[in-house]
Amino acid sequence: MSPEEKVLLIPKIENGFVIDHIPAGAGGRLLHLMQRHREFDNVLITLGQHYSSRRLGRKDLLKIQANELPSRFLQHLALLMPGVTVKRIRDFKVAEKVVMETPDLVHEILRCPNPNCITNHERGMGTTFHLVERETKTFRCNHCERHFTQTALTATLNI
Amino acid sequence: MKRDLISIEDLSLRKILEFLDLARRIEGMPLAERAHLLDGRLLGVLFFEPSTRTRLSFEAAMLRLGGRTIGFSEVASTSVAKGESLSDTIRTVEQYCDAIVIRHPREGAARLAAEVSRLPVINAGDGANQHPTQTLLDLYTLQHLFGRIDGLRIALVGDLKYSRTVHSLVHALAKFSGIEFVLVSPESLRLPEYVKAVPEGRLQARETTDLNEAIATCDAIYMTRIQRERFPDPLEYEKVKDSYLLDRAALRRAKPHLKVLHPLPRVNEIAPDVDATPHAAYFPQVGYGLIMRQAILASLLGGMS
Ligand SMILES: [Zn+2]
Repeated sequence: MSPEEKVLLIPKIENGFVIDHIPAGAGGRLLHLMQRHREFDNVLITLGQHYSSRRLGRKDLLKIQANELPSRFLQHLALLMPGVTVKRIRDFKVAEKVVMETPDLVHEILRCPNPNCITNHERGMGTTFHLVERETKTFRCNHCERHFTQTALTATLNI
Repeated sequence: MKRDLISIEDLSLRKILEFLDLARRIEGMPLAERAHLLDGRLLGVLFFEPSTRTRLSFEAAMLRLGGRTIGFSEVASTSVAKGESLSDTIRTVEQYCDAIVIRHPREGAARLAAEVSRLPVINAGDGANQHPTQTLLDLYTLQHLFGRIDGLRIALVGDLKYSRTVHSLVHALAKFSGIEFVLVSPESLRLPEYVKAVPEGRLQARETTDLNEAIATCDAIYMTRIQRERFPDPLEYEKVKDSYLLDRAALRRAKPHLKVLHPLPRVNEIAPDVDATPHAAYFPQVGYGLIMRQAILASLLGGMS
């Protein structure tokens, strides 16, 4: 049995999701983010911290006993922690595996950091950001046209 | 599909050349014909912050094409002052007219207006973001003065850090070939790196603090105002303000064909004694602006293709 498999066995889940390869220490932050998504209110979530990982040295992981992950949450996750792996578990086995990448488009989930952007003043208005440079993770607000780094954008999430 | 003019970033070189071509055709058109291009059409001119110069230019452009205008020039007496959302104002006004010109203090307001309206929307300035008709009229002025834009050596002078006009002009000019930029500004007001990183690659640009060098070597000088508010230290402002003052004496070293442009209003960066020299092009620039705005209106309202 590989060390990777051993990790997944404690505690085993029959159906649900494992978010793996979370940088060590960041699992708590992710749990905090999940608490802000109402869909997780009654879902069993287990946080594992400081597992050994060939890729990261140490890593955190989350096990989620839910049938689906809300798409808003997945957008947040891709933006906050590109590189983490989302595994769908069916009958105790990994049925599907996706590595989260920095998204090309972030729709409706963030606030524009520019205080003079119309999106911060028009009632009920959402935002759209396009990735303009993948290397530096730079996004452009569709409305005020300002450029922001991923870090500046996610700072508005306040987690 | 309806067409809008929101940001110079949305325009390809081809699209820019089409506007320049249309402006030339309108300028060459007999007055009797030009005066009826937009007969019976109504333009909504919505200025959520005052800008008399830009508003007059749009209104004159529309009226001189045979169209009419309605609108407001500040929000104090409108429903906006009662807290109406921008979307609601746009959806109301669009019931009355055929196209909308919007000026708004918030960045992205024109984009929002274009999203909610079924009418063509023209951005006449959204906060510190865009003012695309200014850029198009600057290009038309250059085209007119030199018969071409490609290959010109152009100095941009003054506040290159915060000037929206300069940033848009740089991005538009970068689409043409062989433009040589001379960027003249105090150290603290240099053109930001993110503006220099144009999609076409790096700018062919020389940076200097010396206006005289630009005067001697350039085809055109684009002056902007240096605002006192930009300097945290008033002493710093006092030190630089006169280094970017253009007067007749300074122009003695200029090439005979050098032209001086300015988005206006000027304060003291161009001395009045320049006005009578063959270099002064800033008032004709206003006239070319009227033609360019006519071209934009005719294009978006379907008076000409
Ligand atoms: Zn914005």
